[in-house]
Amino acid sequence: MKVSGRRVDPEIPTASMADIAFLLIIFFMVTAVFSATKGLEFKLPKEEARSDASEEAVFIKVRADSSVMIDCKPIQPEEIPAYLQPKLERWPDKPVILYTEPAAPYQAMIDVYDVLGSSERLFGFEVKNLSVPTQSEVREYTELFGVNPFESQCAR
Amino acid sequence: MKVRRSSRQSATIPTASMADIAFLLIIFFMVISGVEVDRTRVELPMAKNREEAEKGAAVVVLSKAADVDDLVYKFSDGREASRTVSGPEDIYLEASRLIYDDPGRQFIIKADGSVPYERVDELLDKLRQGGVVKVILLTAQWTEAGR
Repeated sequence: MKVSGRRVDPEIPTASMADIAFLLIIFFMVTAVFSATKGLEFKLPKEEARSDASEEAVFIKVRADSSVMIDCKPIQPEEIPAYLQPKLERWPDKPVILYTEPAAPYQAMIDVYDVLGSSERLFGFEVKNLSVPTQSEVREYTELFGVNPFESQCAR
Repeated sequence: MKVRRSSRQSATIPTASMADIAFLLIIFFMVISGVEVDRTRVELPMAKNREEAEKGAAVVVLSKAADVDDLVYKFSDGREASRTVSGPEDIYLEASRLIYDDPGRQFIIKADGSVPYERVDELLDKLRQGGVVKVILLTAQWTEAGR
């Protein structure tokens, strides 16, 4: 007996594959986080290594109202490299102290720190000896000198 | 004249390439999305110079709480998700523990740009006491138009 049948083309059903794939896409889109891990490099001094504030150091002070003083003269953050350039070209290891008043906004300190970091790229010199005194260092200096040397720096 | 009807073809939409496109998109999302240990929303300070933090760096978060005046401190060792800690003393203990195992461990400070500097300074002080040397102050990209 002859059995007649329609010939069916062999094929792999792929329609559902796209459904699965798009479900996975939605999952990754929902869970994906574009990680932000960029910032300003900051080196903390070692606990035992403590340098004394030198008389010759350039003193930058960020005040509570976000204004900036350099060697007791008001300055805009973007003008700092031009002020430092002749001094650091003569003495590349000249210490630079960045003191921020406790009540100053963090952004104001970052503005100055960012400018100091860009001096090599924009002006061709590097601030090698930057010191950012922390509260405990300030306390130690205050005990040593009887006054906060960073607060009284420009009062003399 | 009688026109002979051609053989009937079933209408289909070719979907084979759809899966290819979809899998390409999946690979894209898998590659670009990292595993973030902290998802706290913080108004980061803006800076022009930014450097990439090391992978696996520990994260210290200092953010403004929505409902209270005080600040919220969080800590992550870089592997596990960040958790709230009571304050700088806890961060000092966690940092000391991590530095004991890996003296070269980098720490990321993720702080709100509007917090008083003394709070960031306090954190830096505690990290220094814990033996931390390498710190990244997390910033957003500075633009003329602002944020």
